[in-house]
Amino acid sequence: MIRTRLLTGLSALALTLTPMTGAMAEDADGNIVVGFATAETGFMEAYDKPAQDAAMIRIDEINAAGGLLGKQIKVVNADTKTDRAEGAKAGLSVLDAGADMVVVSCDYDFGAPAALTAESSGKVSFFLCAESIKAGVQGVGPHSFSASVLAAVQGATMAQWAYEKKEARDFYRLLDTSYVYNKGVCDGFDWMLPTLADAKLAGEDVFKNDDASIAAQISRIKALPKEPDAIMLCTMMPGAVSAIKQIRAAGINSMILNGSSVDGSYWLSAVPDLSNFYVPVQGSVYGDDPNPDVIAFNALYKEKTGGDPATQYTYPGYVMIDVWAKAVERAGSIDADAVVGELEKMDGEPTLFGPRTFTPELHHQNKARYLIAEVKDGKPGIVDEWTISEPVPMDALLK
Amino acid sequence: MLQVLFDALSLGSLYALGALGIALIFGVMRLVNFAHGDVIAFSVFALLWPSTDAVAIVFAGQMPWFLLIPFILAVGAGLSVLSEIVVFRRFRHASPATMMIASFALGFVIRYFLLMLFSSRPKSISLLPALSQPVEILGARMPLLQLITILATIVMLFALSVFVRKTRFGLEMRAAAENFTMARMLGVRANRVIMGAFALSGALAGAISIILGAQTGTADIQMGGAVMLMAFIATVIGGLGSLEGAVLAGFLLGAASVVMQTVLPPEARPFRDAFVYGAVILVLLFRPQGLISARGTKERV
Repeated sequence: MIRTRLLTGLSALALTLTPMTGAMAEDADGNIVVGFATAETGFMEAYDKPAQDAAMIRIDEINAAGGLLGKQIKVVNADTKTDRAEGAKAGLSVLDAGADMVVVSCDYDFGAPAALTAESSGKVSFFLCAESIKAGVQGVGPHSFSASVLAAVQGATMAQWAYEKKEARDFYRLLDTSYVYNKGVCDGFDWMLPTLADAKLAGEDVFKNDDASIAAQISRIKALPKEPDAIMLCTMMPGAVSAIKQIRAAGINSMILNGSSVDGSYWLSAVPDLSNFYVPVQGSVYGDDPNPDVIAFNALYKEKTGGDPATQYTYPGYVMIDVWAKAVERAGSIDADAVVGELEKMDGEPTLFGPRTFTPELHHQNKARYLIAEVKDGKPGIVDEWTISEPVPMDALLK
Repeated sequence: MLQVLFDALSLGSLYALGALGIALIFGVMRLVNFAHGDVIAFSVFALLWPSTDAVAIVFAGQMPWFLLIPFILAVGAGLSVLSEIVVFRRFRHASPATMMIASFALGFVIRYFLLMLFSSRPKSISLLPALSQPVEILGARMPLLQLITILATIVMLFALSVFVRKTRFGLEMRAAAENFTMARMLGVRANRVIMGAFALSGALAGAISIILGAQTGTADIQMGGAVMLMAFIATVIGGLGSLEGAVLAGFLLGAASVVMQTVLPPEARPFRDAFVYGAVILVLLFRPQGLISARGTKERV
């Protein structure tokens, strides 16, 4: 009984959905519609909101300059409530409101339901800041993109930079196995390390993000004959703070490298006077970006939202609208396939936060310019800039 | 070797304190309090001023240590007693399963209350930063905090065992744990004993939150979860209701976790917890009643 009712319900749902998948070029007022199926509540909100605010800044700029293809960009929102099932519903809801492009949650797992909904309706979708290769052709489909840079590029960048600029030779790899992002960072490191002459892996270990203590892992580092030059830490918040604090409390002073996930100064009070700590960032939130336009952007962001960007994960939102709008402009239409075609032609397309490249195989960045942020005596600042010598190959990304 | 021993003892201390907090309450009212982890998180957040900003606004956390530590212990005990008065008292005659569900619900309420005030973003705090210095003992170098954790746990366990064995209140508590109805008939005041157990349990949660907060430098609304799970397992393998068993099993779990992390080859290390839980299953297969089974929970013919 219940099953038949469920089936009837499903087929009724399918019937109501069918007309919606047809090409709906624009809304009734002739505007182009961008749909945000992102988290307005729940824990993803902390990650989605800043990038979305940055995206809105670019949309406002475009609208102020006369719009896109002579039309204004209109925004519709639906809350995913940081829930995967709600994510699919939010995707449907913005498509229903006429979205031509769907922006989905930062994280792959939370953004994918809405992105898959957009994909099945043949619409372009963008992950706000996903850094897994699955956020694109490989995981969602040919109309899906990510606005950020692959996690593997971050690990590879730190390894090569530390080797070239800091003469690091003995590396220690400490991986937090709780999240796929962390593995991505370490995969990039693993790919880069053998290409660096006379650099070697002094040892490796794993921990979990919510481990109450990593004392055993630290004892293993201390048992090494010599303190490693650099510790490649592949982790994210909040376990990162705990790991860094415990490593330093144990008296290990090696250089610590990590992915972009720990950018920002908001956590530094937990590890007073932290030094010799480095992360790659797409742009500086510390007011010292080498590009004055980024500093101007930060000021604008502060004006609109009342605060400075907390981390570099604000920036991909801006890049996303920027590259998408350029592709729409070049295609002369908002037809999804035409826009995807133009996006895939982008090769080193300049943006405020470094060049961006998309190909039919990869809707993500496998090579990118990164600024290197150093934390010294508890103060963060940009000290260098690095682009890996060659892109991270597909087999390292799919590992 | 010595280093491994210290690592095991310090992690075991955390689990033992957690397990004891759960066992105390289970002993007097057969309630597995799953809100215990959220009491831990709440005690840490009590140091901060409510704000959803990325940067934590430290408020009570600025107190000197001799005020700070009693403050957190009091917050834990206070919240725990409050939860007894507001929630668990109404479930006194309910089945253990109903009470367990109620404790889950209470845990969610506490967690979402914190979410509302502080947002889901983990906050960074500098709690007792002086403890983050490395010290050297018998050739093993370790953070001062690790040493203090071990010492403080031993002192607390000792004080608690004296309290339970030598004071009238402790006697009442033990009597209640063994046979609650009989104890009441003999003049043990139920509310007083249960509230005492909740206060002690809450204070233990406060102690864990001090250690966790100082160790990780993080206040996260989910921070109590992992310790709570391990502590619960410890109370089960220790023998539900047995205080000694809970402490022993807590230390054993900590030791198992550290030893696995040390001896497993790199490829197997990501599955450390699977090995630890595997060992737990083995223990339960051979001693389903727990390592030290409490007299009150044994089946009687």
